[in-house]
Amino acid sequence: MAEDLSTIRGILSRNRDNLLKRTNVVATGIGYKETGGTKTATLCVVCSVKKKVAPSLLSDRDLVPATVDGTPTDVVESGVIRALQAPTDRFRPAPGGVSIGHTAITAGTLGCWVTKTGQKVILSNNHVLANSNDAEIGDPILQPGPYDGGNFPQDHIANLEQFVPIAFEGEPSQCQFANAVITVFNFGCRIINSNTRYRVISLQAADNLVDAAIAKPLDPADVKDEILNIGPIQGTVQGELGMAVKKSGRTTGFRTGEIQQVDVTANVQYGAGQMALFTDQLLAGAMSQGGDSGSAVLDENNRLTGLLFAGSDTTTIINRIENVFSALGISL
Amino acid sequence: MKTIVAVILLIIPLTALGDDLDMPSSIEEVKKQHEARFLNMPGVVSVGLGLDPDGNQAIIVGLDGPRPETAAKIPAVLEDFAVVIQIIGPVKAQ
Repeated sequence: MAEDLSTIRGILSRNRDNLLKRTNVVATGIGYKETGGTKTATLCVVCSVKKKVAPSLLSDRDLVPATVDGTPTDVVESGVIRALQAPTDRFRPAPGGVSIGHTAITAGTLGCWVTKTGQKVILSNNHVLANSNDAEIGDPILQPGPYDGGNFPQDHIANLEQFVPIAFEGEPSQCQFANAVITVFNFGCRIINSNTRYRVISLQAADNLVDAAIAKPLDPADVKDEILNIGPIQGTVQGELGMAVKKSGRTTGFRTGEIQQVDVTANVQYGAGQMALFTDQLLAGAMSQGGDSGSAVLDENNRLTGLLFAGSDTTTIINRIENVFSALGISL
Repeated sequence: MKTIVAVILLIIPLTALGDDLDMPSSIEEVKKQHEARFLNMPGVVSVGLGLDPDGNQAIIVGLDGPRPETAAKIPAVLEDFAVVIQIIGPVKAQ
């Protein structure tokens, strides 16, 4: 007998708790009954299950009855229902692809979990975990990052473990010859009572290969060794021209692209007018925005190929993962 | 006489070596040789290796915006390799 909607609402309300107690049932609702794959005009109580199981394999207690209070039921396989979390949310355990940052920055992306001397650590950029060189080893790292509401100490997930310093243009020069010459020059200035002194700066800083850092988790239970919307990493692969790639990041989430250039040398702007020259980079089309820095870049087979750190309106610049691993002494 | 023969025998392999040095440069070498000059031009933000519209290997020079004066100074071909100019915009840490 076809019931009207309000009657079935009452029936569902009375029976909901009893139905949800059964193994496999993850949701209940009202819908049109399907018979042999065809929707009928009969309203019924729909029970969504993790997996459809032959009735003979279920005990009476777990079996969804054919009717409840005279209304037919229908069993639909929905799989496990998970809350959809935004990458800017707080995650414990935390996977790659979610918001993270040093307390002094806005927010970047937790790239992935890697291994340093036998322990799992967070891999991201220097400018995400080490505030572009302006941090101390041991500084607290927040998940989510400060811009996404991360606070110390509630969201303190890890401590800065190691970073590869970025060589910026215009920094004091390491050139011994130039510094020796200028010392003599400044001595001359002092002799003639001039108040002027000179300083040697690098017009062209040393080349950078990576913008990378790692952080050690406070609690190993916070490690979720996979990437949000991608899954577990299946090894590494060298980036090549034409390779299809993907990433999961804090701002633009899951995006795909293609490696359009290799062996790229690029001048990259860091806030406050700082510039740094990077060599041996991979360049893909636009697949990121501010806040996606630190994202792990993978090929179609979920093999790790790079660490995203910069981009323009039409491009994404990626460190080669082999350079990142060798600079930090890490592995998967 | 023996000395002359010895000298000639020494020269022959050296000449052959000289021929090797005249081999055409790889695109990586050509890029390496010219990229500092390009990166010093106003508006050049990147130099990399990619493909031209016909699918041939090319040196790709990225500009931060329309830069007619810089573009005019960049050759279309360098030692048989195409040079492609792309306006990619300023590259920023994200």
